[in-house]
Amino acid sequence: MNTVFALWKRGLKAFIRNRTGLIFSLIFPFFFVYVFGAIFKNDFIQNPIAYMLSGVIIATVFESSLNLASSTVDDMVSGFMKEVLVSPAKRIAVAVGQLLSAATVSTLQGILILFIGLFIGIKFTSWTTPLYILCSMISVGLVFSGVGLFLATKVRSGQTFQIVKTAITMPLTFISGAYIPLELLPDSLRYFAYINPMTYATAFFRMIVLEKTNLSTAELVREGLAIDINGFIVTPVMSFVIIIAIGLIFLILSTNSFVKTDFSRVNRSSNDASALWG
Amino acid sequence: MKSIIEVKNFTKKYGSFIAVNDISFSVEEGTIFAFLGPNGAGKSTTINTLCTIFEKTSGTLLINGKDVTTQKNEVRSTIGVVFQDSTLDSKMTIDENLKMHCVFYNIPKKEVEERIQFVLNLVDLLDERKRSVATLSGGMKRRVEIARGLIHYPKVLFLDEPTTGLDPQTRAHIWEYILKLQKERNITIFLTTHYMEEAEICNKIAIIDDGIIVAHDTPYALKKEFTKDNAYITTKNEFELEQLLAQYELKYIKKEGYYKVEAEKIDCLLQVLSLHKENISNIEIKKGTFNDVFLEITGKKIREEA
Repeated sequence: MNTVFALWKRGLKAFIRNRTGLIFSLIFPFFFVYVFGAIFKNDFIQNPIAYMLSGVIIATVFESSLNLASSTVDDMVSGFMKEVLVSPAKRIAVAVGQLLSAATVSTLQGILILFIGLFIGIKFTSWTTPLYILCSMISVGLVFSGVGLFLATKVRSGQTFQIVKTAITMPLTFISGAYIPLELLPDSLRYFAYINPMTYATAFFRMIVLEKTNLSTAELVREGLAIDINGFIVTPVMSFVIIIAIGLIFLILSTNSFVKTDFSRVNRSSNDASALWG
Repeated sequence: MKSIIEVKNFTKKYGSFIAVNDISFSVEEGTIFAFLGPNGAGKSTTINTLCTIFEKTSGTLLINGKDVTTQKNEVRSTIGVVFQDSTLDSKMTIDENLKMHCVFYNIPKKEVEERIQFVLNLVDLLDERKRSVATLSGGMKRRVEIARGLIHYPKVLFLDEPTTGLDPQTRAHIWEYILKLQKERNITIFLTTHYMEEAEICNKIAIIDDGIIVAHDTPYALKKEFTKDNAYITTKNEFELEQLLAQYELKYIKKEGYYKVEAEKIDCLLQVLSLHKENISNIEIKKGTFNDVFLEITGKKIREEA
């Protein structure tokens, strides 16, 4: 338990200390809101700023939580994981600590953007909305921290990892409806969006932020909040269930994989053979 | 004396490659043990297996009577490890690094402060404790790691090349700390090093080559067995010296401008010197070094790892 808490605190400290990272993580979302909001003016959407912001917030939560992969790989390369490895600390506690800290950090980032968003276009009419938002940010954060941690345990080299990470994050965020409405995508990409978990996270989250919980299914589809896969409608609630299911799978996979991973494998030395035999 | 590390018939294979081949040795409690060997000899494999990171292929490895394979957690709490590369969390301060370590090792909360002060005092870093690790020099980082490795009061401290890449002054300091530890806290120290003069300070040395232990003894005994003292003689009359050396059956090698003569039969050498004294322009006796021991045993020059 102490280990979980200590690692959680460590993650938060690292987040707060990284000022530059913090500032840029706030600038980028608004840059996206401005650019994409201007490009994709959609007649069906009543409040384009709020529409874009909700997508940007959830994309930020997603990217930030997936970043656990990077920080875990950094910990392996810097040797910190080796220190964990020779200590009697329970590995499962280490995994849980890392997951919780990543989920917390990503939720905090989401809250910061949301807070600024309140001044430029997001309005809540019900006091339950912020609560729902918080819950969904935490769950999305946890889900993708799980994915991130899972990726990290599969890494063989710190350098190739950065490329792989970008190659995974970019399409997942851009083809999810968060920045670009799905109906504007070409068919082939739209099919990709259907298998992208982020699509469902975005749809669900957007419905909550825009307070469209009581719209009919047809209306939801028109506003891009429910996903129409060739006539089969995935409602936001179903989306949430899908996300949670994916999340559970990855949380189990990642903790399991984390417990078994040999962290001494990822070494800063370019020559892995010498790291192994030296 | 009680042996704290016991290794019996330890073998480690990577596929068909045998990294360590059936080695056995033991380390007595409270001593400094140096593990030497050229690169790729099986040093790190052995250390990593003892530290519970690698799995053995076969054999028994015990630390303080606990098996490193089946009683991992017991072993982990009895050992402190300082790896060759830094394993500090560079985003955090010295203090935070030590505190995190205390959490991992389940140190009671009320003892944490006292222990941090104790170990930092030991490595003279008490005044720097609030500094971020990223701002520390290489030598300071190593000291922090030694301090961290000690905070849970281990019985055995593993130091994988503790002084590699450090300047001579820092190296001397690190050794001061190591010797202090051994004396004051009776900690067993298991280390690897590339510096032969450092190996000489240790109580026992094992030299590993191609996965087997080729020598295991005190530095003094190894030196006696594997090195010879030599006399380096420069003479004005080479012919006469060669004749005398042959007459007294002294082995020698003629080098550019001097003769390297084995100084084992000291009485014969003295005879030769007194008979030849008018012609000697220079003489120097050199003691065998530990580098010679290493060369003699492994046939390889020890070299620094990249």
